[in-house]
Amino acid sequence: MASKRSAGGGELSDEELVEQVKASLNADSFGLIYDRFAGRVYRKCLSMTRDKALAHDLTHDIFLKAFLNMSTFDGRSKFGTWLYRITFNYCLDHLRKRQRGPAMADAETALVDHTDEDRYEEELMSIRAERLDAVLAHLDASDRAILLFKYQEEMSVKDLMDLLEMSESAVKMRLMRARERALKAYKELFPGEA
Amino acid sequence: MKQNPFKLISVDEEPPEHLRKEVLASIRLVVLMMRFAQLFLADYASVLFDKFKLIPGDEPTEGDENAKP
Repeated sequence: MASKRSAGGGELSDEELVEQVKASLNADSFGLIYDRFAGRVYRKCLSMTRDKALAHDLTHDIFLKAFLNMSTFDGRSKFGTWLYRITFNYCLDHLRKRQRGPAMADAETALVDHTDEDRYEEELMSIRAERLDAVLAHLDASDRAILLFKYQEEMSVKDLMDLLEMSESAVKMRLMRARERALKAYKELFPGEA
Repeated sequence: MKQNPFKLISVDEEPPEHLRKEVLASIRLVVLMMRFAQLFLADYASVLFDKFKLIPGDEPTEGDENAKP
């Protein structure tokens, strides 16, 4: 998550900087927001798309979209969470259009078996890094993104609820499905090891 | 303790330098177009008056009301 008082913008918090941009519509002030978040947004786009040129274009559009929708940021969540929500949704929309894949179910609310949840997590964590990279490349963008948010960014279920605007059970189910599909892909890609 | 494999594959690249210029150039153009649109979509006379008037302050006075054509 974004630090409150990070590089650029002196002593202003992210939210104070946003208020300044909203009031002034000043590109230079927005540049300070860009400096604070560009790295993370770009890397998130790159993780989701695995394509540098595409990550470049998506990052450009995400900041433009954030600027144009800044008046809708009401401060209920952190600015970083709000920006990552735009990032996640924009990347996913783009990838879905490109792949013409099936849309994710909006409400997956079946009960999660916590025994399986722990077992899958343990199995996933035991995969070697280079194998995991191949497995993630094999998954669809939404599964890949949620696994990266959870295990790379170490976002809690609560953070994911804010980010994805979903209920707790829906987030847990989405995570469970992503883990299941990752392990299935691992078994298909590396049958001798699983 | 075993290391989290997700951390090992994390991307540590920075966005290209020129991207910042591109984003801010687009923002500047958008702001310009917003101001331009505001000129035509809003009450252009009052927008122009606000842009060019010398006396600061937003609140119209009684005198201003009477001064309208």
